Order: sequence, then C-alpha cells, then structure tokens
Amino acid sequence: MKKVVFATIFILILATSLVKNSTKEIEDKILMTKENISPLKSELGDVLLEYNYLSSPNKLTQYQTQYFEKDLLKIDVTKIKKLTKKNSYIKVIDFIEKTDDD
Amino acid sequence: MIDKKNNIILEEYENEFLYKKSKTNLNIEFNRIAFIFFVFLMIATIYSIQLLHLGSLKKVTNNIKSPITKKNYRADIIDRNGNYLVKSVDSINVGIHPAKVINKKHLLLMLNHIYKNKNISKIKKKLDEDKFFYLEKNIRPKRYEELMMLGDKSISSEASLIRLYPQDNLFSHIIGQIDNDNNGISGIEKFFDKELKKINVPLELTVDADIQFLIREELLRFQKIFEAKGSAAILMNVNNGEILSMVSLPDFNLNKRETINDVNYINRITKGTYELGSVFKTFTVASGINEGLIEPSTEFLDSKKSISCGKNHKIKEYDDKMPSDLTVEQILIKSGNIGSVRIAKRVGIEKHKSFLKTIGVLDKIDFDISEVGRPQSIDWNEGCKLETIAFGHGITTTILQLAKGYSIITNGGYDIKPTLIKKKLDKKNKRKKVLKNDISKKMNKILRKVVSEGTAKLANVDGYQVGGKTGTAEQVNNSIYSNIKINTLASIFPTDNPKYVLVVMLESTKNNKEYVYEYRDGSGFKLKGSPRNTAGWTSVEAAGKIIDKIGPILATKYIEN
Repeated sequence: MKKVVFATIFILILATSLVKNSTKEIEDKILMTKENISPLKSELGDVLLEYNYLSSPNKLTQYQTQYFEKDLLKIDVTKIKKLTKKNSYIKVIDFIEKTDDD
Repeated sequence: MIDKKNNIILEEYENEFLYKKSKTNLNIEFNRIAFIFFVFLMIATIYSIQLLHLGSLKKVTNNIKSPITKKNYRADIIDRNGNYLVKSVDSINVGIHPAKVINKKHLLLMLNHIYKNKNISKIKKKLDEDKFFYLEKNIRPKRYEELMMLGDKSISSEASLIRLYPQDNLFSHIIGQIDNDNNGISGIEKFFDKELKKINVPLELTVDADIQFLIREELLRFQKIFEAKGSAAILMNVNNGEILSMVSLPDFNLNKRETINDVNYINRITKGTYELGSVFKTFTVASGINEGLIEPSTEFLDSKKSISCGKNHKIKEYDDKMPSDLTVEQILIKSGNIGSVRIAKRVGIEKHKSFLKTIGVLDKIDFDISEVGRPQSIDWNEGCKLETIAFGHGITTTILQLAKGYSIITNGGYDIKPTLIKKKLDKKNKRKKVLKNDISKKMNKILRKVVSEGTAKLANVDGYQVGGKTGTAEQVNNSIYSNIKINTLASIFPTDNPKYVLVVMLESTKNNKEYVYEYRDGSGFKLKGSPRNTAGWTSVEAAGKIIDKIGPILATKYIEN
C-alpha cells in the first residue's frame, strides 16, 4: 500500500514538474512577447499622436484654406437620406422624419 | 568409548517460532532510505525547476531604457473617439560633467560627428568652465543611443516628462496644467492627479474633439462679432450627463506652459457664477407644474405692468406691450416677468426653494475638475427674494448647473450627474427619478414654442426640433446692476425626445450694425444689424449656427446613443 502511495506521489511530482516546466516555457515566451510589444506600443502611441495632430480639425481646416479654393459645405440634415434594403429592393427614406412641429 | 559415541542425548527443545510480522532491522532501514530518497527527489525536483528557468527569465530589453519612471509617470488622456488630448512622451535630457572627462579632444571629435550642425566651440568653452551643463534637452531616442554608445562617463542622462497637447487650446480649461514636479495644478490634471499617476491605460473623457472644435470656432466668431469679453458653451447628454463639449473663452495654449493669472481666463462654465435672468423662468414654471399647482393652460389674468415689493423694489415687464392676460405657456413664450412672479408666489418659498435644490442649481456642484464655483447663498426671507428669483435675478449659479437643471426638467425628471469621465454603462444602476412623470412632456412642448414662436426664433434650425429659453441679465458690479449684459440661451433638442442640452453664453456683448441675420422661418428675410443687445439677437444666433454645424454629426454619429 505504502509503495503505491509513494509511487503515486512520485508520479504526481514528476508530472507537476513536467507541466510546470512547460508552463514556465510558455510564461517565458509570453514575457518575451510582452517585452517586445512594449516598444512597439510606444512607437504606435507616437505615430497616433502624430496622426491626431495632423488630422486634428484645426489642421484640416488649415489645409483646406491652404490648398482648396472652395469653402467647406454645411450638411443640411433634412437632406440626408437613409437606405434600407427590403426583399432585394432598396428603399430611400428621409434620415430625419418630419413631424408636424417642423 | 564406543558406547559413549552412540549415546543420544535427548534434550528438551523449545520452539520459539511464531508466525508474526517481520520486525527485522533490514525493513526499517529500507523505509528510511526510501524516505530520504523521496525528500532528496523533492528537493532536486524543486531545485531543477527553478534552476532551469533562472537564466531564461531575463527581460528582453531595448538598448535604451525608458526614461519614464514611476516618479514621473503620467497616463495619457484621450477623447471619446480615442484621439489623444494629452500624451506623455519619453524624453531624456543629456548633460556633461566636465570634471569626469578623460580625453576632451576625443570627446569633442565624437560630438562633432554626432552633432553635425552644432557649434562645437561653444561646447569646448563649457567644458573648460568645469560646470555641469546640458548638451541637449528632450533628446530623440536615436541620438541618445549614439551618445551612450560613446561610453564616456562624463555624459549623463536624466529622465524628463513632456506632456504634449496635440489640440493646443481646444481643451485647455478641461485638461488644465501640471507643474515641473509632475503634479496637476488645474483641471482634470489636478482632480485626477493620483489616478493619472497610477493607471496603465489612457484616461478616457466624454468629450468629442470634432464637436469641441466646431463649437469653439463659432464662439470665437460670435465673440468677435458682438465684441464680447468672454463666452462659453456646453453640450451635454441630458440622459446620462456626459459632456460632449465644454468651451470657455478666452482659453490658452497648453503647450506654451504659461502661468495664467488673468481673471478673464476663468472657466466660465464651471467656475463663474452668474445671474442668468429669464432662463430661470423655466424653473419657475416647472416648479409650479411639478407641484401640481399650475398647468400650461392655467390663466393668469389682469396682470399689472409693474409691481412693487420689499421696501423700494419695483418689478416691471421689459416690454410695455406685454398682454395682461396670459396662460402659463404664454408667460414663458413671451418671457413675462410679472407672470413669473405670480407663478412663484403661488408655489411659495419652501416648495420653490426645494425644487431648485432638487435640480441642483442652488448648491456647489460635485464635478470632475477642481475649478467649481459656489452659487451665492440666498436669504429667502429677505423682502422680494422669491419675486426676483422667479425671473432669474437675485440668484446666481454656474452654466454647468443651468445645463443640469434643464436636463432634469426635460429628460423625464431623472437626476443626472454631469461628467467628463467616460464610464462603462451600468444597466443595473437605475436612474433616480426626482420630478413628477408628466413634467418633461409639458415643459418640452412649451420650450419648443419659445423657439418656434417666441424669443429664440433664430435658433429654430430645421430638422432638430430645438426648444429652449433665452435669458438677458444685467451684470452686477459692486452690488449695482450695470449695462453689461450676460446673454444666455439654454436649449434642448430634439424636443419630442430630448438627447442634448446646449447652453450658450456671451458676456458683455455689444450691438453689431453690420452683421446680417437670416431668418429661419422660410421667408428668406434678412436683417442687417442687431436691433437689440439681448440674448435673442446674440447668443441665440450663435447657438443656431452651432446647431447648424454640429447637428449632422450628432444626428448621424451618435444615432445609437
């Protein structure tokens, strides 16, 4: 009986150590990947910052006046249409439904 | 002799054999060895696991160590669309300790190679002075690497933090500033100082950079047109209190890191408390309806053109042509002072005070930035107080609280907490109802009529069902009312199911004789020059133009909200 218990414990320890070994390997890989992602993240942040700056409304308006002759047009919300597909037909309806109040 | 040999001696033999469990020393020894072996095996296993991984746990690091340490770390701030409003950028300052230089000639030669456009003779001079000096502040990572590759012990580096604001002025009053020691000194930077130093992800705000820009542009334009000293606008979701835009002018460029001492740079939305005039009449009417004392159709007949109250206080209509018989609805549409006083008197001091407290305009508001103004305390028993408060005089509050009050009245009577911080919607967190069921339905209809028929016609933008109330108040200077005007429009839209509250305030405006107003009644009528210096001809026009521009974005981008 004792031998069986000993053998079981031994096998369990062996199995645990093997599993732990492989887990450690995976952990290592995760750690390495994380460490490698970190500078990429920082780089992405810098690129996004640059993008946010260059595409900020202020800059876009500046480019518009600098490079285009025409002014930007205001969108009339009542002229926006909504497309809905029904039984292979496309229905065009007003985006803003007019009420008696309007 | 032979006999002796053959003699057999029989002796009694005691057989001591018993069948029992073996108790030999050999077995005991075996258990001990097995146990020791087992312990050794365990130790060896544990050791081997640790030993195998000690080497590979080393971090894979870049050659350049990030200068952002725990001490100077500060999280970024983004808007609701993920655009950076503030970003901390890795930065290093590099300097030279001349005393530690071993070979000056060699160092200068190498620096000349790295800094091709730098005046090396200046560096040489500094090296001779023997005092520490900065070679370059906020150095780029590549150059830092080049300098460190020299391996010269005299070159030392220190981490520094730069907060970059890609939107310049756009969010100056919201974000605020930090000092040289990485401590927030105003705005979000101050209020969330601890959190910004702790959190690993950017702090997400409720504001929308595009909408903020459009509103600011229009405010700047109208501030110029009406020569206003300052202006402010807030756009807030009436149902959850999320602020999409909050502009206060004048503002400042955060990237310049200037010390702001001028009072005119006050945050006019949260810090400035004002007497806002007729926009308070909405609260008077709502208070009466909430108490069940009046209905929109309730008539107030035979109103005088002026009344006296207190010792020498006279209250009169701003317009002599104001009819003496008006319904509650007409009182608000025509902005009647005497009618509002009569409604307030019917409600009474205690109930009206309690109503104003409920909608959050009386006390200091709990908000997400430190710059919050405290409304002036009111002595309700002072003669004439209820009467003047009925039409928005003798009572002060902030624009933020005005927006909150309008939100509660129009959103079905639910309490909201204005916020700048984007939170995940918690469906379990039920909204608290503070006003009666039918109040919003009744009030929204009246507010819509104020815009379609009353004093705010210039904000009647087609397609948005704008409702609201104007307020023209004279500013108090040294306890005396002056000619300086505070012109406000508190608007909500769309009135059939309000989503947004927009408050526009222009301070100290002047008439503009050249400005051309285009009527929004479909007549194509145009009017040159502002006839009066009132909210109806200043802030209402600005609000109309703002809704014109931001409306399509709100209608399409936030359709699901």
